[in-house]
Amino acid sequence: MSGDPSRPFKWITAVCSVVTIGFLAAAAVRENISADWRGYQVGFRGILEAKATGDAARATARNLPIEIRQIVVPALHTVDRCVSCHLGIDDPRMTDQPNPHRTHPRKLLAIHRVEKFGCTVCHQGQGAALNFQEAKAEEYFWDYPLLPAKYTEATCGSCHDPRALPAGSADKLVLGMKLFEQKGCNGCHKLNGKGGPLGPALDNEGFKTKHELVRASLKGSQTNWNWFAEHFRDPSGIVAGSLMPMPALSQPQVEALTVFMLSLRQRDFPAEYLAPDKIDEQYARLHPPAPDGAAIYHRYCAACHDTGLHTRWDKKFARFVPGIRNAAFVRTEDDECLAENIREGRPGTRMPGWGPKAGGLSEAEVAALVAYLRTSAPAIALPAAPPRGDAARGAALFAQECAGCHGMDGKGLIAPALANPVFQQAATDAFLAQTIRAGRENTPMPAFGRAGFSEGQIGDLLAYIRKWQPPVRNAALPGRHATQEGRVTP
Amino acid sequence: MTPIQEFLENLKQTPQHLRESAMRTGKAPETDRERSQSTFHNLFLHLQSVRTDRRSLRFAYTFGLGLILTASFVVLTITGILLMVYYKPGVELAYHSVKDIHFVVPAGRFIRNIHRWSAHLMVLAVFLHMARVFYTGSYKRPREFNWLIGLVLLVLTLGLSFTGYLLPWDQLAYWAVTIGANIANSPREVTDAIGVTAWFDPGRFQKQLLLGANYVGQESLIRFYVLHVALLPMAITAFMGLHFWRVRKDGGLSRDESLPAPPARIGGRDVEVFAPTKTYGLMAVVRGRTPVVGRAPEGSVPSWPNLLWAEIAAFMFTVAVTLVLSYFFDAPLKEMANPAIPENPAKAPWYFLGLQELVSYSAFMGGVGIPSVVLLGLGLIPYLDRDPSGVGIWFGGPAGRRTFWQSAGYGLVSVLALLAVTVNYGWLRTWFPTIPQIAIIIFNPATVIVALYAAWSLWVLRRTSSIRMSAIALFTCFLAGFIVLTAMGSIFRGPNWHFYWWPSQWPVH
Amino acid sequence: MHDSPKRRDFLGLAAIWSAVIAMGTALAGVMRLPKPAVQPGPLRVFKLGDPGQFAVGSATRIEAGNFFLFREEQGFHAISSVCTHLGCIVAHNEGEGFACPCHGSRFSTDGSVVGGPAPAALPWLEIALSPDGQLQVNAESPVPKGTRFRV
Repeated sequence: MSGDPSRPFKWITAVCSVVTIGFLAAAAVRENISADWRGYQVGFRGILEAKATGDAARATARNLPIEIRQIVVPALHTVDRCVSCHLGIDDPRMTDQPNPHRTHPRKLLAIHRVEKFGCTVCHQGQGAALNFQEAKAEEYFWDYPLLPAKYTEATCGSCHDPRALPAGSADKLVLGMKLFEQKGCNGCHKLNGKGGPLGPALDNEGFKTKHELVRASLKGSQTNWNWFAEHFRDPSGIVAGSLMPMPALSQPQVEALTVFMLSLRQRDFPAEYLAPDKIDEQYARLHPPAPDGAAIYHRYCAACHDTGLHTRWDKKFARFVPGIRNAAFVRTEDDECLAENIREGRPGTRMPGWGPKAGGLSEAEVAALVAYLRTSAPAIALPAAPPRGDAARGAALFAQECAGCHGMDGKGLIAPALANPVFQQAATDAFLAQTIRAGRENTPMPAFGRAGFSEGQIGDLLAYIRKWQPPVRNAALPGRHATQEGRVTP
Repeated sequence: MTPIQEFLENLKQTPQHLRESAMRTGKAPETDRERSQSTFHNLFLHLQSVRTDRRSLRFAYTFGLGLILTASFVVLTITGILLMVYYKPGVELAYHSVKDIHFVVPAGRFIRNIHRWSAHLMVLAVFLHMARVFYTGSYKRPREFNWLIGLVLLVLTLGLSFTGYLLPWDQLAYWAVTIGANIANSPREVTDAIGVTAWFDPGRFQKQLLLGANYVGQESLIRFYVLHVALLPMAITAFMGLHFWRVRKDGGLSRDESLPAPPARIGGRDVEVFAPTKTYGLMAVVRGRTPVVGRAPEGSVPSWPNLLWAEIAAFMFTVAVTLVLSYFFDAPLKEMANPAIPENPAKAPWYFLGLQELVSYSAFMGGVGIPSVVLLGLGLIPYLDRDPSGVGIWFGGPAGRRTFWQSAGYGLVSVLALLAVTVNYGWLRTWFPTIPQIAIIIFNPATVIVALYAAWSLWVLRRTSSIRMSAIALFTCFLAGFIVLTAMGSIFRGPNWHFYWWPSQWPVH
Repeated sequence: MHDSPKRRDFLGLAAIWSAVIAMGTALAGVMRLPKPAVQPGPLRVFKLGDPGQFAVGSATRIEAGNFFLFREEQGFHAISSVCTHLGCIVAHNEGEGFACPCHGSRFSTDGSVVGGPAPAALPWLEIALSPDGQLQVNAESPVPKGTRFRV
């Protein structure tokens, strides 16, 4: 009797079928028996039974169904399954239990009911997951991993004005906000439309995913909070070539600023989720109270100009930054001049415009800032400027006396650029003449008048300096200009 | 018996009668003859012939690839329909529905993994099956048309895989399809270079037909969904039916007729059968060029049980391999699709990576030109190589085997050399920045490699005077090239499509 | 012609049965798929806050949960407002009971059917005190008529 030709096929079928049954069983066990959340629920059931006071409660505890639990909040587009393991999260009796059974700390769920908020709106993470690794979603394909406990305050700012919260609620966030104002970060970074253009705007910083951040030098966890913390410790270590200056910060300060960065999120919440203090804050933004000039100075100017009382050398910019609160300077400028300088800035230098269309300061804020600068010294009446003289003679004089500091062609070296169009438009002849004549105390600008310059020479210099005046008057600028003939038009 | 008694008696006998009425013979087959009859008459079984040639069942001949393909398709259909119960084809919903399938749906994670790995297995098997059919010369008369049907099935399989790729709506899916759609747009490269785009723009037409818009969005998702769950499955089922029917009509699987047939199996014993010269009825012996409905019994075994065992074995093998893979490896799912953040590198599915590598040299040549030429070439094989001998013999014999190895070597060396040149020295645009694009379309690594392979094939033709040898040479070169280019695209291309030896060397953004 | 000898083919039997069991197990597994493991909608357990906010003698309609909450001397009870006929929402008439606008079913104050096509009484719903002290009604969990919850 010759062999059965199907023998090998029968063997293959038998073996593969056994393998199939094995893996089907393994998958079924993995899903229905050994899943993490089942173990936790069984454990919780035991705890409930132990804590039950009376037979009825014990019976209810014993009948606790072991099933997937989820919080669905359509208004927030949320489906959170955290409660499949954290069953006791809003049960006040569980404060003595280890995680995941422990009650949520600080009695927060009494005022933020889980059924109304879910979990991920405050904690981030992948709410749809049923195991901790995927819920935490840190080294994972998920944009918003679980926020570390120390940074969770960041999300309070989405519905609350943190400063209106009771002490101990969001202290890190409040500290972060204060530091941000005090350290003058707005000098280079816009927030809510106000600030300088040198650095990126920060309005949605908290929602930046790791893909939107430069991580080539980032060590440690590849998350946006780690990036912020490292960036605050050493900006140019994280972003090559960064001009961001960073004073030494303590660890709590770094964390506070990181929390603040994480809190900057643009997300539309339904109105019933916003706390009244948040609505007040948003209203206040649209109808700001009377601006405080000193506060504005600290927020927007101090980062570069420091106290403003002296010229300072900026290492990162490799430039001198003028002392704009120098009494000798403020004395010779009238308010309109100061305002125009602030509004327009100095194109071609690091000084940006700060007017409503540029840095975002309102006219009232500019005026308040000017008033603050004015506290250094009241404006004096300037003596009249001499008539403009011979530009050629002025050129020779300039090259000899002025170009060493102001640069040939008035481009500016260690002294301000006289050829700058905004400077030319804001400054009057009288201002120029007085500055040449009397110098600028507390700066290297000598008093050429005292050194022997005649009015005629000053006039020559005026003629030369005015050669750099832009040919077309910018009609949008409200400032005053000397006409071709040198007369001042008020 | 009274009517009431008759009624009750009938009711009592109904279970037994029901069973008997379901089977037209009244009982399950018990003898070989009954089994043969069942195979002939039964709706599902009559797809098989009543007797199968022994040589068709040899594993080392076919490797069961056709059966693996069919089994994969069945698994894909079943798991696909199950996934459809929960998958939602809207751009806001799709990603989350897939996440829910993974986390929450009973058996969802496992079924989704099975679907994904089966799909990859099917694409791999379709290439291997084509290679097997080619190398055994099974495209020769009378099987030429079935070869063409097979090519249609190849394209449909790739289409099914590609349309399914988009459905999870994650970063992987979105950018892969963006690239695919831009490959569809690649005729633009030519029409722009010759300046006729304003009047004749097939690229844009194809892209808009595919995407329903100028970008990958909700319209594209719905179109791909309809293609993936309705149109393409219907088409592939129809062509599969045609393919199996042709196998029957062409006389079953190919085999080497030049050698004497192995013994037949009749009555449970091996029996030497001499080929008769007389023709009989349909179920009996038929020889020669007359309708090949049932061949001579020589070399044959009854399909029930032998062919059925082979089929069950192939099916269970496919299922087992798929389940093992699905248990250990989750189907990939990256972050939700984000048009603002391109994947870098953005890669097409693996079977298109060879094309993507070519596309990086010339969009048109890599995306349209070369694939069309390849498909045309494949389709012409049975009509150019008409020598009827050598069917059923791998490579046609020892000469063919030599040609195979030499061509594999040549194909490998030339593609590797060309890649080395482009990686280290660049190409025309690097050396002559202002050169017109048409020059690059005509002379680029893709066209160069095709020319090199064609030259080799023509040389083999002259050397061996055999069209089949030159076909083996060309096919093998292309196979080697395909493998190397796919590996290149998968492993050695990193961000900005730069060359890196290992992914660990990729620069972090 | 001789037929195949009838021999016990252990390997064949084992193979075919293991294949059948494998496919049967797979079928059983996939049959579980269509029944959802978790309900996709919001929770049907409603926390209503401090029990003290409900005055004795009050009748409160809880729209989100489709039930009425009553507080009397004897305690709380909640009656579903979903008509047992075909699911419309009934209205409550103080002192008289409930009336359904769709097909005219009428129920007495304790939910019993007094008229119309409704086949069963309006169910009473389980009330409990949640661990954090709130009044909690489970709209998925019926209790016998007359069950009151004392705080």
